[in-house]
Amino acid sequence: MRFSARKKKILIVIMGLLVILSLNFFQKEVKGFFYSFSAPIQKSLWGAGDRVSDFFEGIFRAENLKKEAEELKLKNQELLAENVSLQNLKKENQILREALEIGLEKDFKLELAEVIGKDIGQDSLLINKGLKNGISEGMPVITQQKTIVGRITEIYENFSRVRLISSKESSFDAEIIERDILGVVKGKGGLKIYLDLIPRQKELKEGDLVTSASLGGIFPQGLLIGLIEKVKQSDVSFYQQAEISPFFNVEEIENVFIILNF
Amino acid sequence: MLKKILILILPFYFLVLLQTSFLVHFSISSGWWVGWSPNFILLAVILINFFTPDHSELWWGVGSAFIGGFFLDIFSSSPIGFNVLILVALAFFIKIILKRYVRIPAF
Repeated sequence: MRFSARKKKILIVIMGLLVILSLNFFQKEVKGFFYSFSAPIQKSLWGAGDRVSDFFEGIFRAENLKKEAEELKLKNQELLAENVSLQNLKKENQILREALEIGLEKDFKLELAEVIGKDIGQDSLLINKGLKNGISEGMPVITQQKTIVGRITEIYENFSRVRLISSKESSFDAEIIERDILGVVKGKGGLKIYLDLIPRQKELKEGDLVTSASLGGIFPQGLLIGLIEKVKQSDVSFYQQAEISPFFNVEEIENVFIILNF
Repeated sequence: MLKKILILILPFYFLVLLQTSFLVHFSISSGWWVGWSPNFILLAVILINFFTPDHSELWWGVGSAFIGGFFLDIFSSSPIGFNVLILVALAFFIKIILKRYVRIPAF
Protein backbone atom coordinates (compact mmCIF):
# COMPACT_ATOMS: atom_id res chain seq x y z
CA MET A 1 0.00 0.00 0.00
CA ARG A 2 1.56 3.26 -1.17
CA PHE A 3 0.64 6.75 -0.12
CA SER A 4 1.39 9.88 -2.02
CA ALA A 5 3.47 12.53 -0.20
CA ARG A 6 0.42 14.73 0.24
CA LYS A 7 -1.71 11.93 1.70
CA LYS A 8 1.16 10.94 3.96
CA LYS A 9 1.36 14.45 5.40
CA ILE A 10 -2.40 14.61 5.97
CA LEU A 11 -2.27 11.20 7.64
CA ILE A 12 0.49 12.38 9.98
CA VAL A 13 -1.51 15.49 10.88
CA ILE A 14 -4.65 13.42 11.59
CA MET A 15 -2.66 10.96 13.68
CA GLY A 16 -1.08 13.81 15.58
CA LEU A 17 -4.52 15.27 16.27
CA LEU A 18 -5.81 11.91 17.46
CA VAL A 19 -2.84 11.49 19.80
CA ILE A 20 -3.44 14.96 21.24
CA LEU A 21 -7.19 14.37 21.61
CA SER A 22 -6.54 11.02 23.32
CA LEU A 23 -4.61 12.92 26.00
CA ASN A 24 -8.01 14.06 27.30
CA PHE A 25 -8.37 10.67 28.95
CA PHE A 26 -5.42 11.62 31.17
CA GLN A 27 -6.19 15.33 31.24
CA LYS A 28 -5.59 15.75 34.98
CA GLU A 29 -2.26 13.94 34.88
CA VAL A 30 -1.03 15.72 31.73
CA LYS A 31 -2.01 19.20 32.87
CA GLY A 32 -0.75 18.48 36.40
CA PHE A 33 2.63 17.49 35.00
CA PHE A 34 3.00 20.77 33.12
CA TYR A 35 1.69 22.86 36.01
CA SER A 36 4.15 21.28 38.45
CA PHE A 37 7.24 22.72 36.80
CA SER A 38 5.61 25.83 35.31
CA ALA A 39 4.13 27.15 38.55
CA PRO A 40 7.19 29.21 39.66
CA ILE A 41 7.51 30.87 36.25
CA GLN A 42 3.78 31.56 36.13
CA LYS A 43 3.89 33.04 39.60
CA SER A 44 6.64 35.51 38.76
CA LEU A 45 5.02 36.40 35.42
CA TRP A 46 1.70 36.95 37.17
CA GLY A 47 3.32 39.27 39.70
CA ALA A 48 5.11 41.20 36.97
CA GLY A 49 1.90 41.50 34.94
CA ASP A 50 0.03 42.73 37.94
CA ARG A 51 2.61 45.43 38.67
CA VAL A 52 2.93 46.56 35.05
CA SER A 53 -0.84 46.69 34.52
CA ASP A 54 -1.24 48.64 37.76
CA PHE A 55 1.34 51.12 36.53
CA PHE A 56 -0.37 51.64 33.18
CA GLU A 57 -3.80 51.69 34.76
CA GLY A 58 -2.58 54.50 36.98
CA ILE A 59 -1.46 56.49 33.95
CA PHE A 60 -4.55 55.87 31.82
CA ARG A 61 -6.99 56.31 34.66
CA ALA A 62 -5.36 59.34 36.27
CA GLU A 63 -8.38 61.52 35.54
CA ASN A 64 -10.83 58.90 36.69
CA LEU A 65 -8.75 58.26 39.77
CA LYS A 66 -8.98 61.90 40.72
CA LYS A 67 -12.75 61.74 40.38
CA GLU A 68 -12.86 58.47 42.28
CA ALA A 69 -10.69 59.91 45.04
CA GLU A 70 -13.07 62.84 45.41
CA GLU A 71 -16.06 60.50 45.51
CA LEU A 72 -14.35 58.33 48.08
CA LYS A 73 -13.52 61.39 50.15
CA LEU A 74 -17.18 62.36 50.16
CA LYS A 75 -18.19 58.81 50.96
CA ASN A 76 -15.66 58.77 53.78
CA GLN A 77 -17.09 61.95 55.22
CA GLU A 78 -20.60 60.50 55.00
CA LEU A 79 -19.44 57.37 56.80
CA LEU A 80 -17.65 59.41 59.44
CA ALA A 81 -20.83 61.39 60.05
CA GLU A 82 -22.80 58.14 60.26
CA ASN A 83 -20.22 56.75 62.66
CA VAL A 84 -20.49 59.79 64.90
CA SER A 85 -24.27 59.54 64.90
CA LEU A 86 -24.03 55.83 65.78
CA GLN A 87 -21.62 56.61 68.59
CA ASN A 88 -24.05 59.21 69.91
CA LEU A 89 -26.84 56.65 69.79
CA LYS A 90 -24.64 54.19 71.64
CA LYS A 91 -23.92 56.78 74.31
CA GLU A 92 -27.60 57.66 74.58
CA ASN A 93 -28.46 53.98 74.85
CA GLN A 94 -25.94 53.54 77.64
CA ILE A 95 -27.32 56.52 79.53
CA LEU A 96 -30.85 55.17 79.21
CA ARG A 97 -29.68 51.77 80.44
CA GLU A 98 -28.04 53.38 83.46
CA ALA A 99 -31.21 55.34 84.13
CA LEU A 100 -33.23 52.13 83.94
CA GLU A 101 -30.90 50.46 86.40
CA ILE A 102 -31.38 53.28 88.89
CA GLY A 103 -35.12 53.07 88.36
CA LEU A 104 -35.59 56.62 87.15
CA GLU A 105 -38.13 55.53 84.56
CA LYS A 106 -40.22 53.89 87.27
CA ASP A 107 -40.31 57.02 89.41
CA PHE A 108 -40.82 59.69 86.78
CA LYS A 109 -41.77 60.29 83.20
CA LEU A 110 -38.51 61.39 81.63
CA GLU A 111 -37.20 62.96 78.45
CA LEU A 112 -33.56 62.59 77.55
CA ALA A 113 -31.84 65.73 76.29
CA GLU A 114 -28.40 66.59 75.10
CA VAL A 115 -26.54 69.61 76.43
CA ILE A 116 -25.66 71.79 73.46
CA GLY A 117 -24.48 74.91 75.22
CA LYS A 118 -23.14 75.97 78.58
CA ASP A 119 -23.10 79.43 80.08
CA ILE A 120 -21.23 78.93 83.31
CA GLY A 121 -21.07 82.67 84.00
CA GLN A 122 -24.87 82.81 84.04
CA ASP A 123 -25.25 79.35 85.60
CA SER A 124 -27.33 78.02 82.75
CA LEU A 125 -27.36 75.27 80.12
CA LEU A 126 -28.93 74.98 76.70
CA ILE A 127 -30.48 71.62 75.84
CA ASN A 128 -31.79 70.21 72.56
CA LYS A 129 -35.39 69.57 73.61
CA GLY A 130 -38.17 72.12 73.53
CA LEU A 131 -41.88 72.70 73.04
CA LYS A 132 -42.07 70.02 70.37
CA ASN A 133 -40.96 67.44 72.92
CA GLY A 134 -43.56 68.40 75.48
CA ILE A 135 -41.23 70.44 77.64
CA SER A 136 -42.69 73.25 79.68
CA GLU A 137 -41.36 75.92 81.99
CA GLY A 138 -40.38 74.93 85.51
CA MET A 139 -39.74 71.25 84.76
CA PRO A 140 -36.91 69.79 86.84
CA VAL A 141 -33.72 68.71 85.11
CA ILE A 142 -31.62 65.92 86.57
CA THR A 143 -28.72 63.69 85.62
CA GLN A 144 -28.93 59.92 85.19
CA GLN A 145 -27.49 59.58 88.72
CA LYS A 146 -30.64 61.28 90.14
CA THR A 147 -28.75 64.49 90.85
CA ILE A 148 -30.55 67.81 90.49
CA VAL A 149 -29.17 70.10 87.80
CA GLY A 150 -31.76 72.82 87.60
CA ARG A 151 -35.09 73.88 86.10
CA ILE A 152 -36.35 74.84 82.67
CA THR A 153 -36.70 78.62 82.46
CA GLU A 154 -36.88 79.44 78.75
CA ILE A 155 -38.44 77.27 76.07
CA TYR A 156 -38.10 77.41 72.32
CA GLU A 157 -39.43 75.10 69.62
CA ASN A 158 -36.52 72.70 69.75
CA PHE A 159 -34.39 74.06 72.57
CA SER A 160 -34.68 74.97 76.21
CA ARG A 161 -32.63 76.89 78.71
CA VAL A 162 -31.96 75.31 82.08
CA ARG A 163 -31.30 77.51 85.08
CA LEU A 164 -28.82 75.66 87.27
CA ILE A 165 -29.49 75.34 90.99
CA SER A 166 -26.33 77.37 91.49
CA SER A 167 -27.97 80.41 89.85
CA LYS A 168 -28.55 83.34 92.21
CA GLU A 169 -32.22 83.26 91.28
CA SER A 170 -32.62 79.64 92.30
CA SER A 171 -33.96 78.52 95.66
CA PHE A 172 -35.90 75.42 96.70
CA ASP A 173 -36.60 73.26 99.73
CA ALA A 174 -34.17 70.58 100.77
CA GLU A 175 -33.62 68.24 103.66
CA ILE A 176 -31.01 66.27 105.48
CA ILE A 177 -32.88 63.05 106.12
CA GLU A 178 -30.35 61.61 108.62
CA ARG A 179 -30.88 64.56 110.98
CA ASP A 180 -34.43 65.44 110.05
CA ILE A 181 -33.47 68.96 109.07
CA LEU A 182 -35.34 71.07 106.54
CA GLY A 183 -33.81 74.06 104.83
CA VAL A 184 -33.63 76.01 101.61
CA VAL A 185 -30.94 75.50 99.00
CA LYS A 186 -29.98 78.74 97.31
CA GLY A 187 -27.67 79.49 94.45
CA LYS A 188 -24.65 81.70 94.98
CA GLY A 189 -23.60 81.98 91.36
CA GLY A 190 -20.35 80.63 89.97
CA LEU A 191 -21.64 77.05 90.36
CA LYS A 192 -21.85 77.35 94.13
CA ILE A 193 -24.83 76.53 96.36
CA TYR A 194 -25.57 76.77 100.04
CA LEU A 195 -28.15 75.58 102.50
CA ASP A 196 -29.99 78.35 104.31
CA LEU A 197 -32.68 78.85 106.92
CA ILE A 198 -31.57 76.02 109.19
CA PRO A 199 -32.50 76.70 112.79
CA ARG A 200 -29.45 77.34 114.98
CA GLN A 201 -30.25 74.58 117.43
CA LYS A 202 -30.04 71.94 114.69
CA GLU A 203 -26.69 70.19 114.49
CA LEU A 204 -25.05 70.07 111.06
CA LYS A 205 -21.91 68.20 110.14
CA GLU A 206 -19.63 68.26 107.15
CA GLY A 207 -20.40 65.39 104.81
CA ASP A 208 -24.13 65.34 105.55
CA LEU A 209 -26.17 64.39 102.51
CA VAL A 210 -28.57 67.04 101.21
CA THR A 211 -31.55 65.88 99.15
CA SER A 212 -34.55 67.64 97.72
CA ALA A 213 -37.78 67.99 99.67
CA SER A 214 -41.22 68.00 98.14
CA LEU A 215 -42.35 70.89 100.30
CA GLY A 216 -42.24 73.66 97.71
CA GLY A 217 -43.35 71.38 94.91
CA ILE A 218 -40.46 72.53 92.75
CA PHE A 219 -38.52 69.27 92.73
CA PRO A 220 -39.59 65.73 93.56
CA GLN A 221 -38.52 64.41 96.93
CA GLY A 222 -35.30 62.47 97.36
CA LEU A 223 -33.20 63.82 94.51
CA LEU A 224 -29.51 64.25 95.31
CA ILE A 225 -28.11 67.75 95.72
CA GLY A 226 -24.73 67.51 97.41
CA LEU A 227 -22.78 67.15 100.65
CA ILE A 228 -22.42 69.74 103.41
CA GLU A 229 -18.96 71.25 103.00
CA LYS A 230 -18.74 74.02 105.57
CA VAL A 231 -21.14 75.13 108.31
CA LYS A 232 -21.45 78.87 109.04
CA GLN A 233 -23.03 80.10 112.27
CA SER A 234 -23.62 83.69 113.26
CA ASP A 235 -24.31 85.02 116.74
CA VAL A 236 -26.77 87.59 115.47
CA SER A 237 -28.78 85.36 113.17
CA PHE A 238 -31.45 82.94 114.20
CA TYR A 239 -30.53 80.64 111.33
CA GLN A 240 -27.33 78.96 110.29
CA GLN A 241 -26.01 78.38 106.77
CA ALA A 242 -23.91 75.67 105.20
CA GLU A 243 -21.99 75.57 101.98
CA ILE A 244 -22.81 72.57 99.84
CA SER A 245 -20.48 70.75 97.53
CA PRO A 246 -22.88 69.92 94.64
CA PHE A 247 -22.91 66.47 93.08
CA PHE A 248 -23.36 67.70 89.53
CA ASN A 249 -20.33 68.82 87.59
CA VAL A 250 -21.38 71.14 84.82
CA GLU A 251 -18.17 70.64 82.90
CA GLU A 252 -18.84 66.91 82.63
CA ILE A 253 -22.57 67.00 81.94
CA GLU A 254 -23.37 65.97 78.37
CA ASN A 255 -26.87 64.53 78.74
CA VAL A 256 -29.65 65.30 81.18
CA PHE A 257 -33.16 64.07 81.91
CA ILE A 258 -36.14 66.38 82.09
CA ILE A 259 -38.83 65.19 84.50
CA LEU A 260 -42.10 65.65 82.63
CA ASN A 261 -44.32 64.81 85.58
CA PHE A 262 -43.87 63.70 89.17
CA MET B 1 10.60 17.48 11.07
CA LEU B 2 11.17 16.39 14.66
CA LYS B 3 14.06 18.84 14.94
CA LYS B 4 11.81 21.67 13.75
CA ILE B 5 9.16 20.72 16.26
CA LEU B 6 11.70 20.64 19.09
CA ILE B 7 12.96 24.10 18.12
CA LEU B 8 9.39 25.41 18.34
CA ILE B 9 8.58 23.91 21.74
CA LEU B 10 10.58 26.23 24.01
CA PRO B 11 9.53 29.60 22.48
CA PHE B 12 5.89 28.53 22.38
CA TYR B 13 6.01 27.24 25.95
CA PHE B 14 7.22 30.62 27.21
CA LEU B 15 4.87 32.48 24.91
CA VAL B 16 1.90 30.58 26.35
CA LEU B 17 3.10 31.26 29.89
CA LEU B 18 3.39 34.92 28.98
CA GLN B 19 -0.06 34.77 27.45
CA THR B 20 -1.78 33.11 30.38
CA SER B 21 0.06 34.75 33.28
CA PHE B 22 1.26 38.15 32.09
CA LEU B 23 -0.98 39.38 29.28
CA VAL B 24 -4.23 38.48 31.06
CA HIS B 25 -3.65 41.59 33.16
CA PHE B 26 -4.05 43.69 30.05
CA SER B 27 -7.47 42.42 29.08
CA ILE B 28 -10.14 44.92 28.01
CA SER B 29 -12.24 45.89 30.98
CA SER B 30 -15.32 47.39 29.32
CA GLY B 31 -17.40 47.39 26.16
CA TRP B 32 -18.08 44.62 23.67
CA TRP B 33 -14.60 43.14 23.90
CA VAL B 34 -14.58 42.85 27.68
CA GLY B 35 -12.22 40.14 28.93
CA TRP B 36 -10.24 39.97 25.69
CA SER B 37 -6.48 40.12 25.81
CA PRO B 38 -3.89 39.98 23.01
CA ASN B 39 -3.38 36.40 21.79
CA PHE B 40 0.29 36.10 20.98
CA ILE B 41 0.04 32.40 20.10
CA LEU B 42 -2.53 33.08 17.41
CA LEU B 43 -0.42 35.96 16.13
CA ALA B 44 2.73 33.80 16.08
CA VAL B 45 0.98 30.97 14.25
CA ILE B 46 -0.41 33.37 11.65
CA LEU B 47 2.98 35.04 11.14
CA ILE B 48 4.88 31.76 10.87
CA ASN B 49 2.40 30.41 8.34
CA PHE B 50 2.37 33.64 6.41
CA PHE B 51 6.13 33.94 6.15
CA THR B 52 6.77 30.28 5.30
CA PRO B 53 4.57 29.93 2.23
CA ASP B 54 6.92 27.51 0.57
CA HIS B 55 5.31 24.11 0.39
CA SER B 56 8.48 22.48 1.67
CA GLU B 57 8.24 24.62 4.80
CA LEU B 58 4.78 23.25 5.66
CA TRP B 59 5.98 21.70 8.93
CA TRP B 60 6.99 25.05 10.38
CA GLY B 61 3.47 26.34 9.99
CA VAL B 62 1.50 23.24 10.99
CA GLY B 63 4.02 22.34 13.69
CA SER B 64 3.71 25.76 15.28
CA ALA B 65 -0.08 25.40 15.24
CA PHE B 66 0.20 21.99 16.91
CA ILE B 67 2.59 23.09 19.62
CA GLY B 68 1.02 26.49 20.22
CA GLY B 69 -2.45 24.97 20.41
CA PHE B 70 -1.28 22.17 22.68
CA PHE B 71 0.30 24.54 25.22
CA LEU B 72 -2.71 26.84 25.08
CA ASP B 73 -4.93 23.85 25.89
CA ILE B 74 -2.67 22.77 28.73
CA PHE B 75 -2.71 26.19 30.40
CA SER B 76 -6.38 26.92 29.80
CA SER B 77 -9.58 25.27 30.93
CA SER B 78 -10.47 23.97 27.47
CA PRO B 79 -10.09 20.27 26.67
CA ILE B 80 -6.76 19.20 25.19
CA GLY B 81 -7.00 19.47 21.41
CA PHE B 82 -9.49 22.31 21.22
CA ASN B 83 -6.98 25.05 20.36
CA VAL B 84 -4.85 22.54 18.42
CA LEU B 85 -7.75 21.87 16.04
CA ILE B 86 -8.47 25.57 15.58
CA LEU B 87 -4.86 26.55 14.97
CA VAL B 88 -4.09 23.63 12.66
CA ALA B 89 -7.21 24.44 10.63
CA LEU B 90 -6.09 28.07 10.53
CA ALA B 91 -2.58 27.05 9.40
CA PHE B 92 -3.97 24.97 6.56
CA PHE B 93 -6.38 27.73 5.63
CA ILE B 94 -3.54 30.27 5.38
CA LYS B 95 -1.45 27.84 3.34
CA ILE B 96 -4.29 27.20 0.91
CA ILE B 97 -5.07 30.90 0.52
CA LEU B 98 -1.42 31.77 0.00
CA LYS B 99 -0.87 28.95 -2.46
CA ARG B 100 -3.96 29.55 -4.56
CA TYR B 101 -4.63 33.27 -4.46
CA VAL B 102 -1.58 35.20 -3.31
CA ARG B 103 1.59 35.81 -5.17
CA ILE B 104 4.25 37.61 -3.22
CA PRO B 105 7.31 38.43 -5.37
CA ALA B 106 9.62 38.42 -2.31
CA PHE B 107 8.91 34.74 -1.70
